Amino acid sequence: MAQFSATVYQNEFLPEGGTDVHAIVSVTCSGAGSVSAAAPGQAGEVIVVDTSGSMQWQGVQAAQYAAAAALDQIPDGVWFAVVAGDHQARLAYPTGNAVTMAQMNPQARMSAKHALRNLYPDGGTAMGSWLLAAAQLFDTVPGLAKRHVILLTDGKNEHETPDQLTRAIETVRGRFQCDCRGLGSEWSVAEVRRISEALLGSVDLIRSWEAMPQEFAEMMQQSMARGVADAALRVWAPQGAEILFVRQVAPSLEDLTARRQEINPLTGSYPTGAWGDETRDYHVAVRLPAKSVGAEQLASRVQLVVGEDVVAQALVKAKWSNDTMLTAQISPEVAHYTGQTELATAIQEGLRARSIGDDATATAKLGRAAQLAKEGGNAEALEHLDKVVDIEDAATGTVRLKRNVDKLDEMALDTASTKTARVRK
Amino acid sequence: MTDTTAPLAPPPALTCPKCGTGLADAGLATCPECGVELGAGPPPPLPTPLSEDGAPPPIPAPGSGDRPDMPVLGGIPAGTPAATTAAPAPADLPVEKCPQCGGTIDTDGYCTQCGASRPDPRHHVEEAPTAWAAGVCDRGIHHAGNEDAMALWAEGEAAGRAALVVCDGVTTAQRSAEASEAAADAAVGVLRGARSTGVGVAAARDAALGARLDAAADAASGAVAEVTETLVAQGMSGDSLPSCTFVAAVVEESVVAVGTVGDSRAYWFPDEGEARLLTTDDSLAQERIKEGADRAEAEKAADAHTITRWIGVDAPDHTPDKTVLEVDAPGWLLLCTDGLWNYASSPDELGTQVRSALEAGGGIPLGGATELVRWATEQGGRDNITAVLARLGAGAPEPVAPQAHPAQQSPVEATEAAAAEPRPAEAATTETTTTETTTTTEEA
Repeated sequence: MAQFSATVYQNEFLPEGGTDVHAIVSVTCSGAGSVSAAAPGQAGEVIVVDTSGSMQWQGVQAAQYAAAAALDQIPDGVWFAVVAGDHQARLAYPTGNAVTMAQMNPQARMSAKHALRNLYPDGGTAMGSWLLAAAQLFDTVPGLAKRHVILLTDGKNEHETPDQLTRAIETVRGRFQCDCRGLGSEWSVAEVRRISEALLGSVDLIRSWEAMPQEFAEMMQQSMARGVADAALRVWAPQGAEILFVRQVAPSLEDLTARRQEINPLTGSYPTGAWGDETRDYHVAVRLPAKSVGAEQLASRVQLVVGEDVVAQALVKAKWSNDTMLTAQISPEVAHYTGQTELATAIQEGLRARSIGDDATATAKLGRAAQLAKEGGNAEALEHLDKVVDIEDAATGTVRLKRNVDKLDEMALDTASTKTARVRK
Repeated sequence: MTDTTAPLAPPPALTCPKCGTGLADAGLATCPECGVELGAGPPPPLPTPLSEDGAPPPIPAPGSGDRPDMPVLGGIPAGTPAATTAAPAPADLPVEKCPQCGGTIDTDGYCTQCGASRPDPRHHVEEAPTAWAAGVCDRGIHHAGNEDAMALWAEGEAAGRAALVVCDGVTTAQRSAEASEAAADAAVGVLRGARSTGVGVAAARDAALGARLDAAADAASGAVAEVTETLVAQGMSGDSLPSCTFVAAVVEESVVAVGTVGDSRAYWFPDEGEARLLTTDDSLAQERIKEGADRAEAEKAADAHTITRWIGVDAPDHTPDKTVLEVDAPGWLLLCTDGLWNYASSPDELGTQVRSALEAGGGIPLGGATELVRWATEQGGRDNITAVLARLGAGAPEPVAPQAHPAQQSPVEATEAAAAEPRPAEAATTETTTTETTTTTEEA
C-alpha cells in the first residue's frame, strides 16, 4: 500500500500589512508498488510512433526496435496497442480490423513485434489525430485506471492547424498521460511541450536513432513503476484569500494554476497523474487579507488525494509580526525554487530572442540563466547552457553567444529548461 | 464509438520470424525448427527496403491509399468526462464552531472557512469557585500564548475561606506557560488543605498564615522543578530554565495574608477609604524606587520588568514577602499580573478602573474581572492579563444590572479593534453608556 507524506517549508511570519504567503510543499510517495503487482488489468499503454515520410526507412526501423523495446517492458496482463502515426493514425497492433486493445502475454508480445514489420514511412504529421486515436483505443477497455501513452515524433505538426491540435488536446485532457519524445532536430519543442504539459507527461529530445530503444524502454519502465494510478493535489485557501499560483517545482517545473478544478469555492483540485516511489515539490502562493500584528491563521491546506481519500496533508500558516528578524527571512526552499522557475523562463526567453536575432536580449536572458543555474546548483542546465553560450563568469551572468550552435544543443537546452535542481539541504 | 463488448480480433497466424516456419503454439519460447527465441528481444529484421537493383522502394505519396492491414483510427469519440464525485460526507463528529466566523473547526485544528486556529483553552480562562471570588486569565493581544496562570479555591457563602494564586510565566524562559500553571495548581493544592490559624494572638495567627504561604511557594517551586526535569530529560534545557512569579492570598474570613515573589501584585480597594497596594515588586523598577526614583519613571524604564526574584530551580530564594490585612470594612481584594497593572499602577488609578469594571460587570467578581481584562486589552494588551477579584468584609455581592459598553463587541472583536488602534488609557474609562445589555464573554 502506497504511503504518502507531505512536508511544508515556509517562513510563516508576515510583516505588518503583509499579505502573500509562499510555501514549498514536498510530497513523497513510498511503497507505490508496480503496475504488474497491483492490477495490471487496470493499466493501459498505447505506443504511438511517427511513421511519416520524413522518418525514412532507417527512422522507421529504429522506431520498430524502440517500440519492441517498450513492449518488452510491459508486464503480462496490461492492455496495450501500437499506433502508427502520419497524417492519420493507424492501428498497427492489435492487427485485424477491430479497433481494440490487447492484453499482454507472451503470444501478444510476439505478435505485436511481428506487426511492427508492417510499418513503413509515408505521409505527414498530425499529432492531434494520434492523440484522439489513443483516446479512442482506451475507451474500448472499460475500467482502465491508469492510461499512458508514449508518443514519438520527428517533425512539426504540419497536417493540422494549431487550433486543431489544441482541440484534440482539450478533447483528451484528463483521459491519459502522455510522455513525448522528439527525434532529431526538425520538430518543435514548444509544440510538443503543449501536449506533454496538458497531458501530465514529459518532453525530451532523442538525438539519434540509436538512442531510441533505450529511451523507450526507460519510459515504459518508469510508467510501469507508477503503482498509484492517479492522484490530485488539493489546495484550500480561506474565505477572502486568493491562490496566486500552484506550481510543481521539482523534479520538473509545471505551472498547475490553470488546471484547477473546483471542489468547492475554497478548494481547488490539480491533477498530478500517476505516482511511483518519488518526491515532488510544489510551490503554493496564497494572498490573504492582512491582519493585525500578533494574529495567526491557516493560509492553506495542501493535500494529496487518491480517489477521494486524503493521503497526505500539509498546513501552510501565516503569523503577523513586527519583529523584522522573523519577517525578513525568506525560506531557503522558496528562494531556491523561485530561482529555478526564473531559470526556466530565462532560458526559454533567451532562446526565443536568439531565434529572431535579438542578440542583446538573448545574451541578457541566457546570462541570467547561467547565473541562476550556478546559484541553484543546476549542473544539467549549466552544461546545456555551455553549449549555446560561452560562459565567462556564471556568478555575474556574463556570457557571449556562440557563433555556431548545433540545433540539437539548442533544443536540448530548451527541453532541459524545466528540469529543476532539488534544493540543497 | 467502438463496440467495447466485441471480442478481440483473433491473433493472426504466427510464423517464426527467422525461418518462416508456421508456429502451432504462440506460447512457444523458441522456434521448434530453427531454435530462435520468440516473444522477447528486438523484432525480426525488416525485409530489406532495397529493391533488387539497389534503388529504394517507391514511397507512396501522402494519403495516396489506404493500408488495409492497419485500420485508420479517428473521429472524436464520445468523451468520458471524469465524474466529479461529491466530497465524502463529514463524519458524525460533534461540530466545533469557529469563534471568528462561525465556520467549522477541522480536525487539523483550523477553521474550514476562515483558517483561524482552534482557540487554545488557555488563551482565555475564567474561574468562579464562589459567588464572592472569581478571576479571568487572558492571553491579551501581543503574546502568542498565555503564560499567566491562576488557581482559585473558596468555600463559604460570603467572605469565608479562600486560596487565590496567580503566577506569571517568565516570557524569556522556556516552557513558562507550563511552569506557571503547575506552580499555581500546586500552591492552591497546599493552601486549601491547611487550616492552622495559630493560637489566637495576632502574631501567632500571622505566623501560621505566613507558614502556609511559605509552604505554598515551596510547592510551587517543586512543581516548576518537575517541569524543568522533563525539559532536561528531553535534552532541551537551555540557558533559561522555566520560571514564574507568584502571588497568593489566603482568606480566613476577615483576615487576608498575601505572599509574593516577583512582580505580580495584590491590591486592597475598600469601598470607603484609601486603596492600598499590599505587595512590593521584586523588580529592577522597585529597586530604583527604593533608591528614590519616581515610581512612574522607574516603571517606564526598558528593564523595569526584569524581576529580581522568581520561582524556578535557578532562583536563589523563593520565600514570599508577606503582608497580613485585617478586613474591617467591605472592599475588594485584587490579585493581578503586570499585564493589568501596567496600564494603571497606582492604587488610586487602578481603583478607579476596578470600580468602573464592577459597575460594567454587574457588581460580581467574575463580571468585574472580565471587564478589567477587557479594559487592559483595549489599552493594547501587550502582555498576558490576569485579574482575580474577591469581595471581603461583606455579604456575597449582589448582582446589579450591568452597565453596557459603548460598542457591544465580542472579546475577539475588541481584541482586533484594540490591536488595530490602541487607545489612550484615559479614553476607555469615560466610555460608558447605559444601554441595557449583558456582557459577552468568550467561552473558555
